[in-house]
Amino acid sequence: MSAKTAATTAPLITRPLIWAGAWFAAWLIARVVLESASVPTWGRVVAALAPTPLAAAALLTIVRGARELDELERRIQLEALATAFVLAVLLLMTLGLMELAITLNRDDWSYRHVWAMLPMLYFLGLSLARRRYA
Amino acid sequence: MKNRLKVLRAERDWSQADLADRLAVSRQTINSIETGKYDPSLPLAIKIGRLFDQPVEEIFTLDGDA
Repeated sequence: MSAKTAATTAPLITRPLIWAGAWFAAWLIARVVLESASVPTWGRVVAALAPTPLAAAALLTIVRGARELDELERRIQLEALATAFVLAVLLLMTLGLMELAITLNRDDWSYRHVWAMLPMLYFLGLSLARRRYA
Repeated sequence: MKNRLKVLRAERDWSQADLADRLAVSRQTINSIETGKYDPSLPLAIKIGRLFDQPVEEIFTLDGDA
């Protein structure tokens, strides 16, 4: 069993947060570039893909951190992700149907806004799972 | 599943944090096991049995058992 105690779990949380922060910063920069500058198409594609390596680094640290988690924390994370996944599918399915039902404002419901709801769903799931085992 | 973890811990005058350190798990895990909200994995149950020098089935009992 390679579980860590609370005192040693801090890096398991901070490292992914640092990489996720860098990923988000790169996404913001890419968005600013794509919305304001007159960049050729190939440059626009490069800007859109630029955050990907940082996402890969965040993914690696998250997976490594998950392997080191205490068994109850792993259970909590699994329940949080299960909740978030179902809610994310529900959100996207409902948006798809709403697109057919009414005219959605694309500026309000584009991918660049909707993705931000997915981490919120994860934190909602995490909060519910933590409450269950508190 | 019921367990005698809290009693065994109290007999040794250990806090939840003390027991968590000895088992290399979080204090929340110990609390959740003691309150019956979480059943430990088999490796953790065996570790608990060894720590208290008792068979696992004397520490953990199924709800239907006497």
